[in-house]
Amino acid sequence: MGRSRLAVSVAAAVSLIAGPALGHHSFSAEFDSNKPVQLKGTVARVEWINPHTWIHIDVKQPDGSVERWMIEGGTPNTLLRRGLTRDALPPGTEVVVDGYRAKNGSNRANGRDVTFPDGRRLFLGSSGTGAPRDGRDASEK
Amino acid sequence: MKVHGFAAAMIALASTVGTLAAAQDSRTTTGGPTTDARTKWSSPRTPWGEPDLQGTYSNRTITPFERPANVGGREFFTKEEVASLEARAQQSNGDEVRNKGTRADVERAYNDFWWDRGTKATTPRTSLVVDPPDGRVPPLTEEAKTRALDEPSRPAFRGAGAAGRGTDTWLDRSTFERCITRGMPGAMSPSAYNNNYRFTQGPGFVAIQIEMLGGTRMIPTDGRSHIRSAIRQWMGDSVGHWEGETLVVDTTNFTDKVLYRGAGENLHLVERFTRVGQDEIEYRVTVDDPTTFSRPWTLVIPFVNTGEEMFEYACHEGNYGMEGILSGAREEERAKAAGK
Repeated sequence: MGRSRLAVSVAAAVSLIAGPALGHHSFSAEFDSNKPVQLKGTVARVEWINPHTWIHIDVKQPDGSVERWMIEGGTPNTLLRRGLTRDALPPGTEVVVDGYRAKNGSNRANGRDVTFPDGRRLFLGSSGTGAPRDGRDASEK
Repeated sequence: MKVHGFAAAMIALASTVGTLAAAQDSRTTTGGPTTDARTKWSSPRTPWGEPDLQGTYSNRTITPFERPANVGGREFFTKEEVASLEARAQQSNGDEVRNKGTRADVERAYNDFWWDRGTKATTPRTSLVVDPPDGRVPPLTEEAKTRALDEPSRPAFRGAGAAGRGTDTWLDRSTFERCITRGMPGAMSPSAYNNNYRFTQGPGFVAIQIEMLGGTRMIPTDGRSHIRSAIRQWMGDSVGHWEGETLVVDTTNFTDKVLYRGAGENLHLVERFTRVGQDEIEYRVTVDDPTTFSRPWTLVIPFVNTGEEMFEYACHEGNYGMEGILSGAREEERAKAAGK
């Protein structure tokens, strides 16, 4: 084992427990910061599952064919608590995904930033979401 | 690695606090409520006469876990600092912060509507760690540092935080990523979402259902002893008793398969749950392991009643993430071998 691997392991073994900023697993281990993607597509279905939701979208290619992508979101628990279900994102909804492609090269990406085509933030403004208002949503202007 | 994201977040937080401290250093500390002042509140009673802790609570907070270095050692934020911190938490969120093409941006994962970190400093303390007096987790013992050197050769990684030790196998990932446990008292500490707990009581028992990763702690209060020491459990073995308004829980019998900040089977926790108002339980836990920490240390975390429902977090239901991490590493190896 190389020195760097050992150093990493030691640091990790005594490392901090999840702090307020952390989710359940490492996104940077799963997705590649060198492979940013922007996908415009329509919702095909939503896997409303733990530990993370996955939004399946159909992305039309320049040649007219359609590619199916899977976009990783967060835990459904947070949205359920705000009164939202998978029906809040019905099939056919147009979305724009700005994220990072999976390291394994599959058609998976995280939904680092998901908006509607006109720039409105997904779910923001929906009744009772409690989502932070950051001034970026058109409805806030 | 996740720890980088965490470090970046803590640096961001520290710099936020630093800005506040610099802007307001001419002001004196106004202090904050103390446990002593608030425990005069008397809990309602269960039909069988015990203090009633029952309800659904959240421990989310923007209060730092450890005291930032640049608050001048003060134990409490000023009211103005709390207001500023909360305003920033409300306004400055992860959606706004984009450093495209960086690991940190990948670690921010997804839009803010999925997160539930909270926007309130549920305590005006400058840290959840209240003892040692410097608000910092005490240093590891030499023994613990030496023990950590053996971690790479162990059959499975034992860390309960977000970091792993590699990507050769799922056993290289943390027990958190493996959906097993965040360790103790990690499971009782706030995370980025699913910070919800349901307390239920019956004669002789208190049950605490934990939303993140699921599971329920069953704490007998009937005077029984710990199970024998040969039996080891991921969440340890808890026995409780009542001291006035406070539920006191002693937990031992931890397994060596998981580490909380380096502490494993020798970990000993004493937790104190005190209802300090209609809507709040003060959670106080003293963490002791002489083989790991140079001294015992204590956390105080407010549990605030939400009146909301609990939802199941079936962590392995669709754990594409683990598959993605391991298959991603294989793909990177193939690319490297091919000289790409």
